[in-house]
Amino acid sequence: MFLTSVLLSTVGALVALLTGRSESTAKILGCSIGAFASLLALMSGLQALFGPVATFSSGTLFFDFSLRLDPLAGVLVSVISTLAFVAWVYGFSYFDDYKGKGIGAMCFFMNLFIASMDLVITSDNAFWFLVFFEMMSLTSYFLVVTDQDKASILGGFMYLVMAHIGFFMIMISFFIMAGITGSFDFSVFRAAKFDPGIASLIFMLAFLGFGFKAGMIPFHSWLPQAHPAAPSNVSALMSGGMIKIGIFGIIKVGFDLLGASGCQLWWGIVVMLFGAVSSVLGVMYALGEHDIKRLLAYHSVENIGIILMGVGVALIGWAIAQPVLTVIGLMAALYHLINHAMFKGLLFLGAGSVLYSTHTRNMELMGGLSKAMPTTAICFLIGSLAISAIPPLNGFVSEWFTYQGLITVAMTGDGIVKTVCAITAVALAITGALAVTCFVKAYGVTFLGAPRSDEARAAKEVPGPMKFAMVFLAVICIALGVCAPRIVPVLTSAAAATAGQAVAGTTAGIALVNPVIDSTISTPLLAVLLIAAVFVPWLIIKGKSKGGVKNTPDPWACGYNPTPDMPLQASSFAGTVHMFYGPLYQMRDNLVAKSPAFKTFFAGLSNWADKAQNWGDIALVNPTSKFVHWLSRVSSKLEGGDFRVYIVYVVIALVFFLVLAVTVR
Amino acid sequence: MSLAITAAASILVPFACALLIVLTPRKADEALCITGAAIASIATLLVGWSFASGGMATQTFTFLAFGGVPIMGFVFDKVSVLLAPTFVIIGLLVVIYSTAYMRPTNREHPDEPRRRYYAFMIIFIAAMAGLVYSSTIIGQLVFFEITGACSWALIGYYDTDIARKSAMKALIVTHIASLGLYLAACILFIQTGTFELTAIASLSTGWKTFVMLSILFAAWGKSAQLPFYMWLPSAMNAPTPVSAYLHGASMVKVGVCIFARALIDAGQVPEVVGWVVVIGGIITCVFAFLMYLPQKDMKRLLAFSTISQLSYIFLAFGFYIFGSDMAFVGGIMHIFNHAWAKTLFFLIAGAFSCTMGTRMLPQLRGVLKKRPILGVGFAVAALAIAGCPPLNGFFSKFYIFAGGFQAATENGALMFIVIVALIETVGCFIWFLKWIGSVLFGEPSEEVAKAAPLPKAMSAVFVVLIIMTFCSSFIAAAWLG
Amino acid sequence: MGEIIIALIQGILLVLLAPLVSGVTRWFRAKMHTRKGPSIWQDYYDIAKLFKRQDVHSNQSSFISRLMPPLFMGTMIVLAMGMPMMTRLCPIPLLGDAILIIYMLALPRFFFALAGIDSGSSYAGIGSVRELVVGTLVEPSLMLALFVAALSCGTTNIGVMGQMVASGQCANPIAMSLAGIAFAAACYIELGKLPYDLAEAEQELQEGPLQEYSGPSLAMMHLAMPMKQIIVVSWLVAIFLPFGSAVDLSLTGLLFGALFFVLKVAVIFFICGIIENVVCRVRFKLTSRQTWFVLAIAVCAFAFCVLGI
Repeated sequence: MFLTSVLLSTVGALVALLTGRSESTAKILGCSIGAFASLLALMSGLQALFGPVATFSSGTLFFDFSLRLDPLAGVLVSVISTLAFVAWVYGFSYFDDYKGKGIGAMCFFMNLFIASMDLVITSDNAFWFLVFFEMMSLTSYFLVVTDQDKASILGGFMYLVMAHIGFFMIMISFFIMAGITGSFDFSVFRAAKFDPGIASLIFMLAFLGFGFKAGMIPFHSWLPQAHPAAPSNVSALMSGGMIKIGIFGIIKVGFDLLGASGCQLWWGIVVMLFGAVSSVLGVMYALGEHDIKRLLAYHSVENIGIILMGVGVALIGWAIAQPVLTVIGLMAALYHLINHAMFKGLLFLGAGSVLYSTHTRNMELMGGLSKAMPTTAICFLIGSLAISAIPPLNGFVSEWFTYQGLITVAMTGDGIVKTVCAITAVALAITGALAVTCFVKAYGVTFLGAPRSDEARAAKEVPGPMKFAMVFLAVICIALGVCAPRIVPVLTSAAAATAGQAVAGTTAGIALVNPVIDSTISTPLLAVLLIAAVFVPWLIIKGKSKGGVKNTPDPWACGYNPTPDMPLQASSFAGTVHMFYGPLYQMRDNLVAKSPAFKTFFAGLSNWADKAQNWGDIALVNPTSKFVHWLSRVSSKLEGGDFRVYIVYVVIALVFFLVLAVTVR
Repeated sequence: MSLAITAAASILVPFACALLIVLTPRKADEALCITGAAIASIATLLVGWSFASGGMATQTFTFLAFGGVPIMGFVFDKVSVLLAPTFVIIGLLVVIYSTAYMRPTNREHPDEPRRRYYAFMIIFIAAMAGLVYSSTIIGQLVFFEITGACSWALIGYYDTDIARKSAMKALIVTHIASLGLYLAACILFIQTGTFELTAIASLSTGWKTFVMLSILFAAWGKSAQLPFYMWLPSAMNAPTPVSAYLHGASMVKVGVCIFARALIDAGQVPEVVGWVVVIGGIITCVFAFLMYLPQKDMKRLLAFSTISQLSYIFLAFGFYIFGSDMAFVGGIMHIFNHAWAKTLFFLIAGAFSCTMGTRMLPQLRGVLKKRPILGVGFAVAALAIAGCPPLNGFFSKFYIFAGGFQAATENGALMFIVIVALIETVGCFIWFLKWIGSVLFGEPSEEVAKAAPLPKAMSAVFVVLIIMTFCSSFIAAAWLG
Repeated sequence: MGEIIIALIQGILLVLLAPLVSGVTRWFRAKMHTRKGPSIWQDYYDIAKLFKRQDVHSNQSSFISRLMPPLFMGTMIVLAMGMPMMTRLCPIPLLGDAILIIYMLALPRFFFALAGIDSGSSYAGIGSVRELVVGTLVEPSLMLALFVAALSCGTTNIGVMGQMVASGQCANPIAMSLAGIAFAAACYIELGKLPYDLAEAEQELQEGPLQEYSGPSLAMMHLAMPMKQIIVVSWLVAIFLPFGSAVDLSLTGLLFGALFFVLKVAVIFFICGIIENVVCRVRFKLTSRQTWFVLAIAVCAFAFCVLGI
């Protein structure tokens, strides 16, 4: 079924390209085939989660083309297929905005993008993994530059360059493994035991290489440039799906391929520290943004950090021989991966809807959209609550498990581990609080208050397919949170299968449990209680409101007539935050400002090359030709033109040969 | 036997056509050239087909011997039967393209289709086939020099001062390099009494090193490696189809082909040769990459790109000497792949100068909007050269790097060279991506907006080349196993 | 079964008695100012009066403004159901996880700030931003103190933590004490009393995010905000000062537990009252210095925890 899905995607791609002349046909065909293909992939992904490992092997062109759908792959395939399905449905209306920019080509590249992502996840051979990895980057590059303006081209350039550098690091990592084992098959890597030093080199190269793709700090600079430039449903796919392939790679190399070689403590510590730094800096930079999609892109950096924290817990757990911790950590990471995909996808689609209605991404020009676009507003609110880890939604559950993992590891680890875990837990707490701030800003400035520009005043609700896509994801977010006791066991078994350990008991009835220290929460119970506890007061207020609710007065402005620039703007938030966290922004500005030095270096190199390119001529050819000319000039003197000189030559030659004849005889 | 006859046909028919071109009126020259090239292509394909159906066993035929000493002959093995159709078919495509390029409508170099152009092109095609099939060093020498002479004639085609100078430079530099081949031929004959290349294997280590290094000397010259590179950028004064064929696809490949043939026939090669090859290769690679940076003329950029891609092939051969078979396969595949991709790239440059009057990269913008096929071709060729899957360049480069790693696990110092090559490849990618972003997207610049329509012959050739750029890697892998 | 009844009783009692606590606070302030001051039942009279008025919102506001007061109150009731007030252990252990409580406190803060922006009033907006930013400054200390407590007590359930502290079984007593001090300081900032009265700085911001509220909505907020203060204080008491609470569900135990709880809360509010009436509001720009100091105490606590004392 998986292969059918991939083939169908390819067919969809070609169909879209061929019908490119008629843009609406291309759009309808491309979107429908793509949506259908993603549904098939989703089914196969879910099958892999619950069922046995499925493999597929085909002939050998270059190297064995083999696929493997194990639970880890199942998780990723399901996530990406869900996002793909939603993105295609959304695209039915959203692509109308792109008439004239080549919808056929967009559907072509998007189909291939999704197909190559699916194939990367399931590849069981290093060579094909690399091929599809790079194809994934290449197809998304063309999607990022759709607008073809300067910002998009620069964004695409930065993106593909950094993806390529990461790709090379991964390639070297695989080459080391292949060089030692003599084959490019993952099954051979899995069984091989590498020396600790070599294993560390392999892991670090893979970690940094996949880190470029995942967008962790300091390899994140492409994210805020590429994601805003791409169409919003593609941004949702990239942010929700593609950067997770970076995490997938780290987990795969760390747990799956190096499984037989054992893990070292410092790997987990490094991963956790990168995660902590990424999450805090990611959300900090997000707070300073006025472009709604750049804000969301920086939040992706933050959430990748949180996922990496979970992976770090798992690695440390493995290194200190605590299998339950490995499972918990990995499960937290996978759960947050799914959750982030869902709520980030939802938020990007919401941002896309706002962009569709107001044709601007600048939050300063929005405002008051919740009245004109109620569905979008509610969906965006649910997404904001989810990403801020507000119980009982999904973001909270995965962060709870991450915290539990951190605390449990700290309890069983030594001083260094305790300290690192404490730093990470504090970072996670700061991140949570800052995320709340950031999304109050994002939601509030965009949807609440009064409209601040004509575009915002003229905004209308988005068409049906886009609404459906957003509501679909919103429902999933709520379901993943409230129904967590049903979802967690599935993920725990997937995590256990990946780490090769026994399943840990992470649920009990309606409760989510940390089996090591017996901490429990229950999201369904919480949801029910909250709804009941809020409903009753709400009824009281409704009952008590005499004369209904009055909605007519202007907000109080100290006696003045309120003007649109009086209330809070996006910059007010940024300014306040800057007051306290200024040095962190300063650090980024300093690092970016280094580039003039780079520019002068580059210009100098270019100038040198310009002069050096002709050294062959200057050093070798010109002297030789000068010499030859000189020689010919000198020897031309022999040809005086006077035939009497020639007679002298003849005489001399004659004498010489006579002498020769005599002496030789 | 029939293999030999078909192969001979692929060489002799074009020569006959050349003669006919000279004798017949001007109007027939294009048709004659295309016919000759087509017949030669079919001949080489027939050779390939019967070779494959014969179980891919290596065969040698000597058709010219003097006193029992083979002077010239044919060798049919996987490498020669793969490469010969490549060069000949690319030649056919270039000739078809030339019929549209060498016209008064050409904005940068308006011209009439002249007989000497087509005559020398067809001779060149024949010489390439002959060189690839040649089993003796004398045969290689003969065709080596013929290609040199044709190149002189074609580079100096426009008959301006700078064209003549470039032609002379090319001829002399490559001729000095060919001294290596002469020397190798002499030594081979003196030591083993035959001119057949397979005799290299029977030389003693010292003489083998000497012969290999001499052949390397000739190869470096013809393939524009350091220190012989300077003729290639100046050769860009030739008409663009000539640049595409000679300097993208075939003449520069002569060097690597003769060295490949020497490696195949040499058996165990001494490590000294390997070090010379690898060090020369990496220095050329880095140098050529640094020379990308100031280039604004597309053809000069492509010339330096050719130099660096050829240095990759030499690196592959070096890795093979250090024990990695995968690297050799990668090198041959790269010859095959690069021929198609580079031809496409050069012909796109030609299309720019033909329809838009300029080939300066900063002045070309927004090509994708105005001429999608040129934009797509540019992107495909650039990505192929940069080594991005699913284009062909990636697969051969992967084999070369894998081979390099294999060789480096036994020989630590090679790892440094492999890493430098990897960094260069990333740099190459970045540079070409920058130009893709600059040339393809956005609003068309003035020159692009005023572009003349693209002739059908050119579009047809581009379509074939784009398809081949995608598929050639798979074909090569299937063929070489 | 008994626990569920206790949980419900806690919730209801909290709603009924919260205005009393805020009323006593007002009375205490008046006494410290040597005024006669309002009676301790004044807040009840205010709430009853407000319920009779009309609910007016600004013309820019949306459903968020109307949703916020019930949501705030509902969250507090749910928190109260899980908080161990009379008992040593949590009435509903599933609601007693420390991390859950932190994030449950984030829920009303989210909507509180959002409502401030929703009304479109500039003062309310500034108040919202300040509320959020102070929250971010306080979170690290809270989390670190709880982390130390969790490490020392081997659990994140606050009832079990209290049990470990009361029975003297928790490791690292010095670390726990320092963590308790840091936690108390962080909680004081959370309470929103002077000098950290930044969201509703009346003299500067005219009531802050609640500016555009009136009628029943405002009444509910006047109910809910003292509830939050009591919840935060009982959080501190549950973990670090569990002495006297009921270890079983016997009637005498519960009565004594309730008595001790009221005493502890009264003492703490008394101390808070003294502090808040002798200082003025901290300058917003300089708040971070004080929160850094609290964080430093928490880091000290953690260092002691690592050292094992």
